[in-house]
Amino acid sequence: MKGTYIGEFEELVLLSVGILFDDAYGLAIVDELEKQTGRTIMISSVHKALVRLEDKGYLKSRMGGSTETRGGRDKRLYQLTQSGKKVLAESRELRNEMWKQVPKIVWEGGKA
Amino acid sequence: MKRKSTTPPGWAIRFFKWLCNDHLVEAVLGDMIELYQRRRTYMQRWRADILFILNVVQFIQPFAVRKKSASLNSISMYKNYITIAWRTFRKSTGYSFINIAGLAVGLSACLLIGLYVQHELSFDNFHEKGARVFRVNMELKFGDNHLDLAVANPLFGETAKTEIQEVETFTRLQWYGSLLVKKGNENIKEENVAWADSTLFDVFTLPMISGNPKTALTEPHSIVVTESVARKYFDNTDVVGETLTINNTESRKITGVIKDLPSNMHIRFTSFVPIVERNDALDGTWAGSQNWNTYLLLKQNANANEVVPLLNKMLDRHLGPQLQQVIGKSLDEFNSEGNFFKTSLTPLHDIYLYSNRIGELYGVGNIQYVYIFSAIAACILIIAIINFMNLATARSANRAREVGMRKVMGSMKGALIAQFITESVLTCTAAMVIAVAITVGVFPVFNELTGKALDVSLLMTPTVITGLIVLALLVGIISGSYPAFYLSAFQPVSVLKGAGLSGKRSSFRNVLVVFQFAASILLIASTLIVFRQLQYIQHKDIGYERNQVVTIYNIDKLGNRAEALKTSLRQVPGIENATVTGYLPVNYYRSTDSFFTSPLLDTKDMISMQEWKVDEDYLATMGMQLVEGRNFSKDIATDSSSLIINEAAAKFLGGENVLEKKLYNIINEETRELKEFRIIGIVKDFNFSSLRETVKPLAFVYGLNDGGLSVRLAPNEITKTLSTIENTWKTIATDIPFEYSFMDADFDRLYRGERQTGKLITYFATLSILISCLGLFGLATFMTEQRNKEIGIRKVMGATVPGITALLSKDFLKLVLFAIVIAIPIAWYFTGLWLQDFAYHIELEWWLFALAGVVALLIALLTVSVQAIKAAVQNPVTSLRQE
Repeated sequence: MKGTYIGEFEELVLLSVGILFDDAYGLAIVDELEKQTGRTIMISSVHKALVRLEDKGYLKSRMGGSTETRGGRDKRLYQLTQSGKKVLAESRELRNEMWKQVPKIVWEGGKA
Repeated sequence: MKRKSTTPPGWAIRFFKWLCNDHLVEAVLGDMIELYQRRRTYMQRWRADILFILNVVQFIQPFAVRKKSASLNSISMYKNYITIAWRTFRKSTGYSFINIAGLAVGLSACLLIGLYVQHELSFDNFHEKGARVFRVNMELKFGDNHLDLAVANPLFGETAKTEIQEVETFTRLQWYGSLLVKKGNENIKEENVAWADSTLFDVFTLPMISGNPKTALTEPHSIVVTESVARKYFDNTDVVGETLTINNTESRKITGVIKDLPSNMHIRFTSFVPIVERNDALDGTWAGSQNWNTYLLLKQNANANEVVPLLNKMLDRHLGPQLQQVIGKSLDEFNSEGNFFKTSLTPLHDIYLYSNRIGELYGVGNIQYVYIFSAIAACILIIAIINFMNLATARSANRAREVGMRKVMGSMKGALIAQFITESVLTCTAAMVIAVAITVGVFPVFNELTGKALDVSLLMTPTVITGLIVLALLVGIISGSYPAFYLSAFQPVSVLKGAGLSGKRSSFRNVLVVFQFAASILLIASTLIVFRQLQYIQHKDIGYERNQVVTIYNIDKLGNRAEALKTSLRQVPGIENATVTGYLPVNYYRSTDSFFTSPLLDTKDMISMQEWKVDEDYLATMGMQLVEGRNFSKDIATDSSSLIINEAAAKFLGGENVLEKKLYNIINEETRELKEFRIIGIVKDFNFSSLRETVKPLAFVYGLNDGGLSVRLAPNEITKTLSTIENTWKTIATDIPFEYSFMDADFDRLYRGERQTGKLITYFATLSILISCLGLFGLATFMTEQRNKEIGIRKVMGATVPGITALLSKDFLKLVLFAIVIAIPIAWYFTGLWLQDFAYHIELEWWLFALAGVVALLIALLTVSVQAIKAAVQNPVTSLRQE
């Protein structure tokens, strides 16, 4: 694990960036997360996570794609880096590994 | 400006731009605006606005906030300014102390005056219906008598309520006198008791703690007391239904307990008893006695200016028939002889400051003093600020090199201005804090001086605190701006080379000095004149001997024992004389009656005189002198219809052969029954009201009045005599408290207002002179330092010390002379105005003003010459060597 740990929320943000592919910016990520999780997401927490993830090198960003509704302001468009993809993969792997170790009886509703 | 309906509030955007770092600002703002637009499609603008602002607030987090390198720099610059300010302060503690102390003292004087003025202006501003409450005034003129009264006849209020639809209700008040209330075995005197109508609580806002305000004053033998009275007798306020024993015999049921009347109400009663007990409450004639303070509550939307003519019409309607009956004249005839009855209304809020009529319930304030004190406060504040500016400029001479250095190192003019303004605001804040401390410290003394019960907690209201902060900033910026701009304009080359500072701006400074001294001279002159006028009043021959006269009270509670007390007191050694009467020259206890010179009752021959009931020992006890005729005598039976009048009355009656004249007075208005009086003596005029008024006609009649007993003591062993009197009292009246006062003290009380004002003006004038001197001292220092080299060279060339001192002092003396020329006409005008208020006053003499000028000149000379001599005796080598 050493050092590559990311929190659940950060993982969800990374995944959203992946889902949104070439239009992954703050508000779109908020929308995506709200749609997927059904939770209310604060725009500031998304941006906070994005800044952290970019600092850690899992994301890279560029400016672009301004629209009328944004008052003509550019979006900061995020993209997964190689290490970003890697950390997602590792995280998934870890889960799968641990899933396998849970005895079947647990899932079959045995009398624990 | 109206923003487009589709954009969030501009200030929030600007705030965010200022707050957020460059990495995020564009993208996040874009996101938030997009979100805003989306929200606007399904919610109201204000909701969206609030959510937008909340979004902005969410971004106040370390990850988003701009890390300003620029702001860090300016923060450290401010830190540096504060450090330098502190060092400068430490380096010249003396100057800094003078500077801060001067401002602090000035500010605290202003604060005190501000509190005083605010309290004066706040009278009766707390009544819920206050704007609709008016007090009825009566103005009467008949013959040569002209009376301006704060009271009306008993019928006025009730009639106004029934006949004029704009009048919602009314309430009346009248002094009850005093009550003796039993507590245990002791009787305690309650002095501030009033008769009041049951509508009292409908008109005034007097919150009731327990009891029903609607019914509290409706039953006879009830009483409404204030919280503190309730606590005095029962230790708690839940006492409705309890009984108070009054004057040993009566009992009164407490039907209500109200909060204590606020100190800013024009009345200060502590108990109210119901008018319904009085059978004369709605009895009387319109032309007869006017003795009820009547307050009208007008209906909402009623205009007082429209109600006054209606009230006058009502007055005429009722007065006409009664005049016809009593004096046999119709109202028109009465008016055509130049007589009139008129009524007017005084708004509740104006009673305290703007009304000073006969029959006011309590002493009133005077708007004149409010103006005087505001002017003094303004003078002191301006003097203090000018002083601060002058000192700061003076000290700046020593800072010139620092400024040069800063400029060379790249400091901009703006930064230098910021530096000096910061310093000055800091100093001001320090001064303000000290000023508040001083104010709190001297508050009790100030209360004693003004005779007010101001509460220091008045200082702690948000308004005052905000005001103080704003004032500190304002004074800081104003007083700091002159040195700030002055210093920042220095040429670095010339100051670093050590060249003298340019004296170009001295004209502005001169204006400041002249102004400062003009204000001081104005205050000195006013103080001298107020002081002399008060001296004059104290020592004026007032026509009676007020020293060593003691007045004993509660005589009315003795009933028929009064004569016995007088008889036994006259036997006490050390008592020269004794008289039983409540009519004293130092009391407000008065009644006025009308007398006619013929039984025809022609108003032309009418004289309105105060009528004092006295006994045969009165004149001797008071030390009054008869000019003509004789005193009353026990042995002459006809003296019960005799009069002794004063010189003013004699003059009114023509002055000659007055002792042969007779006067008539109406006993019964309906039957027109008359009483005939013979004039048996004329007493020398004596002052029996404020010296603001001339002596009015007055008559003594021979009769018993038990309002007091006055004794004249022999000059020796007054204390011993007093205790003998007390013992005598105790043998006659065990159940009634022994109370007395000295007449000279009572006299002083009449002029307490003037004395307090005089004292206050003296203190504040002294203060302002002190502060002016501080400023002048600083300025003198500055000027001499500037001319250091010049003085050195002059000395080398052979100038003498007196010569140099004169040279340096001359400039300042010119300014002070100029200030004298400006200040004296102003002082002349305003003190003249003040003196006009007194019927007996000193003349404005030129030497008073000359004295004020000389005092100012001397003070200036002393202050300046200290510095001048110091510079003059200095070894020229010291000043010439430095380069």
